[in-house]
Amino acid sequence: MSRPFPYTYVSCPCANTPVPDPAKKRRSRDSPQKPTPERTDPDDKDNKKQPENTPEEEVDEEEEEQTFDPRSPRSNFSLYPPEQLLYCEDCHQIKCPRCITEEIVSWYCPNCLFETPSSMVKGDANRCGRNCFNCPVCTSPLSVSTIENVAGKGNGQGPWVLSCAYCLWTTLDIGIKFDKPTNIRNQLQKMTDSTSAPTFDTRSRQGSRAFSDLKSPLSNLASFDEPVSTPTGSGEQVKENETDSPPLGVEARFAALKNFYRNQISETSTSPNDPLGSDLGFSSPGALNRLMSLYASSSRLGGLYGGNKKQKSKPPVMREAINASEGLRIAPENADAAIIERLSSPDCGWDGVASLSQRAEQSPDVRFVDDLLPLPVLLRTKRAKRCKSCKHILVKPETKPQSTRFRIRLIALSYIPLPSLRPLALPTSSLIPAPAPDLNALPPLRPVHVLLTLKNHMFDPVRITLATPSVTPGRVASKVTILSPQFDIGPNSDVWDEALQGASAPVTTDPRAGGLRAAEKVPEAGKVWDKGRNWTTVVLEVIPGTLPGSEADAGKEGIDEDEIAVAAQQDEDVLEIPVFVHMEWDAEAQLEQQNVGKASKPDDLVARELAYWMVLGVGRITAAL
Amino acid sequence: MPPKAAKGEYIETVSSSPLSTPVKPTDTNASLQSQEPLSNTHQDTGNKISRRSQIHGTQHIILGGKTVIQAEAVIRGDLYRLPSTPASTDPNNPPQPSTAPSVAITVGRYSYISKGAILRPPSRLHRGVHSYYPLKIGDHVFVGESAVVEAASLGNHVHVGARATVGSMAIIKDFSVVLDGAVVPPGMVVPSWCVVGGRPARIVGEVGEGYGVEGAEGGLARERYRAVGRS
Repeated sequence: MSRPFPYTYVSCPCANTPVPDPAKKRRSRDSPQKPTPERTDPDDKDNKKQPENTPEEEVDEEEEEQTFDPRSPRSNFSLYPPEQLLYCEDCHQIKCPRCITEEIVSWYCPNCLFETPSSMVKGDANRCGRNCFNCPVCTSPLSVSTIENVAGKGNGQGPWVLSCAYCLWTTLDIGIKFDKPTNIRNQLQKMTDSTSAPTFDTRSRQGSRAFSDLKSPLSNLASFDEPVSTPTGSGEQVKENETDSPPLGVEARFAALKNFYRNQISETSTSPNDPLGSDLGFSSPGALNRLMSLYASSSRLGGLYGGNKKQKSKPPVMREAINASEGLRIAPENADAAIIERLSSPDCGWDGVASLSQRAEQSPDVRFVDDLLPLPVLLRTKRAKRCKSCKHILVKPETKPQSTRFRIRLIALSYIPLPSLRPLALPTSSLIPAPAPDLNALPPLRPVHVLLTLKNHMFDPVRITLATPSVTPGRVASKVTILSPQFDIGPNSDVWDEALQGASAPVTTDPRAGGLRAAEKVPEAGKVWDKGRNWTTVVLEVIPGTLPGSEADAGKEGIDEDEIAVAAQQDEDVLEIPVFVHMEWDAEAQLEQQNVGKASKPDDLVARELAYWMVLGVGRITAAL
Repeated sequence: MPPKAAKGEYIETVSSSPLSTPVKPTDTNASLQSQEPLSNTHQDTGNKISRRSQIHGTQHIILGGKTVIQAEAVIRGDLYRLPSTPASTDPNNPPQPSTAPSVAITVGRYSYISKGAILRPPSRLHRGVHSYYPLKIGDHVFVGESAVVEAASLGNHVHVGARATVGSMAIIKDFSVVLDGAVVPPGMVVPSWCVVGGRPARIVGEVGEGYGVEGAEGGLARERYRAVGRS
């Protein structure tokens, strides 16, 4: 577990109910059961779920026969830190990230925090269209700086480069300079779209020309990705370059191929208003028709489809791109040999070869560090979240990327009491001195007291019933007793009361408050430890179990290091206590009671209940006594 | 809350009146700070500052109140921005005392600077002049042990993990988390609700919507403050 001790996780009930069902709660309410108290053998080191009942009454879950096992593989998918969980007011249920759906509210660049309109997101390839780039070598953000800066002239002029402040890579390493400090992405695109040859010095000039060569014949394209910026006077160049145009850049070649195939589809499609010319043509029914006609006419099955042989007699045939302007690229004869030669040359070496993670972000041809291009920053999204079962919106952030506010935010912490855990240093057990136990090294078989504070964030008082298996599941069986499993928590009130009272309230539980005070306060069964305006603290008495193979393990002599190592590896030595929380409160009837028209009476109260498992991570048990 | 006796580990600022100046951490780092004028700009009350911390240039530091500074933390208020002067001045030279002390470091309420952390204003070479810029730290910020923060700003409820490094001029927005040991490269912007980690740091996840709620993860600053100096 990644969090430091002590931690608390809350289990989302969705793990046991694959389809979240609002009716489930009603069913469970109708069938309350009172399981009989039953003890299991603490020595039972069975790793499976133990059918063990809790001694508390009214554990009315459907799966009341089974206690929650924080170590079962399923628990990985249901345990969440409390602040990650949401709460659906309609289903009256905790919602974890698995039981919600998300929809994108806005796209923004995480670097410049500008919002990208949704219409431009696709065109910009989900990347920032401004000046934000990531280093292709180390992924840290690049900054635009002028070369003259170093010289100290400092008049904001001169060529500009992108430089990485982390690994000190700059675009000078690949021979790229920019004329302006703005609109870098367009500048870069113009430079790189045309040539992929490593002659970088001539890149920008040749590039823009070849780009326009490509552009002008295809300028009637509807969805060409780059903004059209056709230089004038490129008409003649088109003609003279048609035969031996320079090799196209990746993007340009893709655009050419896309255009070529679009033309092919529109030419070969049979129906006049075929939607194939548009995007995603091949998934349309028209494409299916065309395929069917292909197959039907070329086989004797054609007779089966109405036998209309006149129409299907001549299936349209698509050809492939045959020249460079259509996007064809013929692999050079000695390309591989050249690459190998370069790999083995002394001036390339290991450092000159792009790593796999670097290449993953680049075009497929890139093999060397010299070919890496700066990466425009990927956009991030703000997302609204909906309940999967009732489609109500649970979280709706404000659209602006800079804003941290929410229009709607139904987090679980506003409903379920916030658990927090704290070790209690008790001078009671005579032999142990007072300092708080080290949670990363709990000695086995020695009782530890932990304080569990539940803090209510609702404006209604809540009745809580806690339950826990008396022995924690897993190979290390620790005994757990909740000294006062049933208690009330007061209602939350204004924030100001909290601020005014907060400073003094917890001092009473503090051991520093004097040895006398701490000494006279001992955990008592049936009594809550402490209580505040909207929180209540109870004591859990935990007797950590023995690690298998340790010297404390009964029937063993000496320490079996291997077994301890195995146990530690599987985090068996982590003391995690599953606690079942059942809460009841009287909520005001809300709008769903259909009393929108008339004013709702204040005493119109509805009994509500909620039950869930949570896991308290207390600490790590040591092998030695 | 009466001021604690000078024997305690923490100096607690009591009010913004001039009375509070004698209990500034100057007595602990006498060798370092005795020359400094005592016109401290600590503005609010209840700061808990370890006597074993090293705070330089106190007149350039603003603590928002209820700020905790633990032992061995280093806060470089002496690296403040010089008033705009000709490009020839070297900011590393001891500057002539300016009339209006510029603020080098601002720390918000309930922020917690752990043991051994270093707060250093960011610097940048701009038009050939190396100059410092103010470091702004918001409210409820946690800076972990041995972390080095050179950011331009840390927002509210930011958590900087232990041994993390936040590079010069980085901007960490509200409610974001820098994981332990991460190295946030200079100039990086971490948007709100994001978790960054690794070397160099990248966005590796997001915190839950409940992050920063009082008492939950990200909202523990008040508790942390209360716990200081009690044992």
